[in-house]
Amino acid sequence: MRFPRFFTKKRGHRRTDSHAWGSFAEGLFYALLVAAGVVFGLLLVTGAVTYAPADPDSVVLQRGYEWWMWLLTLLIPVALLAFGGSGLVRVVRTWGKSQEHRAAASRTVILDGLAGPAPAVPGHPGVPSCDNLENSPGIVLRYRLPLESPENWTLVGLGLFALLWNAVVVVLAVGVGADLVGGTTDWFLIGLLVPFVAVGVGGVVLFVRATVLSTSVGPTHVEISDHPLVPGMSYDVRLGQGGAHLFRSIDLGLELEETATFRQGTDTRTQRLVVRRVPVSRWQRVQPVPGGSFEARVAVTIPTDAMHSFSSENNAVQWRIVVRALPDRWPEFTRVFPVVVVPVKAVATTASPEAVESLE
Amino acid sequence: MNGVDAEHGDGHVPAVSVPSFPRIELRFGHPGRGYQPGEWVTVEYCIEGLRGERPRALERSALWYTEGKGEEDLGVHFFERFCTLETIDRVVPEGTFAFQLPTSPLSYEGVIVKIRWCIRLRVFFESGRDHVSEHVFTVGRVPPSVLP
Repeated sequence: MRFPRFFTKKRGHRRTDSHAWGSFAEGLFYALLVAAGVVFGLLLVTGAVTYAPADPDSVVLQRGYEWWMWLLTLLIPVALLAFGGSGLVRVVRTWGKSQEHRAAASRTVILDGLAGPAPAVPGHPGVPSCDNLENSPGIVLRYRLPLESPENWTLVGLGLFALLWNAVVVVLAVGVGADLVGGTTDWFLIGLLVPFVAVGVGGVVLFVRATVLSTSVGPTHVEISDHPLVPGMSYDVRLGQGGAHLFRSIDLGLELEETATFRQGTDTRTQRLVVRRVPVSRWQRVQPVPGGSFEARVAVTIPTDAMHSFSSENNAVQWRIVVRALPDRWPEFTRVFPVVVVPVKAVATTASPEAVESLE
Repeated sequence: MNGVDAEHGDGHVPAVSVPSFPRIELRFGHPGRGYQPGEWVTVEYCIEGLRGERPRALERSALWYTEGKGEEDLGVHFFERFCTLETIDRVVPEGTFAFQLPTSPLSYEGVIVKIRWCIRLRVFFESGRDHVSEHVFTVGRVPPSVLP
């Protein structure tokens, strides 16, 4: 048996550090947690301190803990034992097994996974599930696609920020007001209050502006005749754009976006990159019907050489229908409707297991 | 053949630089190593340079893995492990195996996400070291992505 080397070589971009040392260090870490849990628990149960601090001359023979106090006290050692024990079992179970062996046992293994597992379309490994995209029927066409708009998240974020910040401002203001009513003036607190109020007012203004922007241009609806989509096939898409204003232009197209999640130092980052744009239709000088909305129906063809949708824990390739509109008096906005593209049906087989047996 | 040989467990070292490591020749049923989803893949391999050292186990697998900016994900589609004397003699030093490809994922050459399919043969020796040989092939015909 040869002792494993501590430092190893790199091969391209692939990680090739010593798995033996890595597993050993991981096992040692979990073993230490278990040991800490055992020691901590024994100390608590047996009692390391057997005298009363208030009366050092007296020996304590029995301590009057309630049952809930015991539970609370044992919470930390039990958590250490559970975490360390489960980790130790996992290290022992995977010890000496190759990457493929471990992956085969769990069908898919994620190396240092950063996100949760992605459910797949049955019969299409790696293709993300489209359950959430098909649970809303359309008015005219079969499905109404859900909206995935980053503007909505910005709106929620601004609203939360304005709410929390101004709650702090109110607490400070109440303190300053109480001081003034009591006849004292805390200039430091007043000086602190001024920038806090300015930021709070700014937050409210930004939130109101974002709300007005998202509501004034009206909602966008997209319906599709079928789902999931297949390369080379055409689908009817119905666009509905609400709003009382004139739109200088409205563009509808397909986009393919790659998403990669990676660690950078201690941070987890996600990069998104649009690698393919397929323009479908463009309308100019659009004036929705007063009280109604602009309606259009177009055919969208998925390119025959399109990559199918793919999703694993840290990587994804996603297709989406994108609507970009430029209102006459408002900034341009983008609304995204994800879709799932499945691969073209498998071809007929060209060999069989019997043919392989004959080779052996 | 388009393969990468490496010693594993205590490091990756190109097999050609250290003559005592075995060399694994692998031949695909398709000369171009290009397959369509659902197609059967047949593989013949030959392990040379064992120099009398007896393998403790052999693993044959077909898998996809991601490359690019994100953390690596990996999915095994086909896996066989031979670890008894009787079975080892049947698959070492040469052997053949076959498997049917799934419908997805297809090989993909993206900008920050790439998906590759490969065959891996991993030989475990009595000394404790192991040697892995990786042979890439393609599934489907998706053209490489370029920035618009």
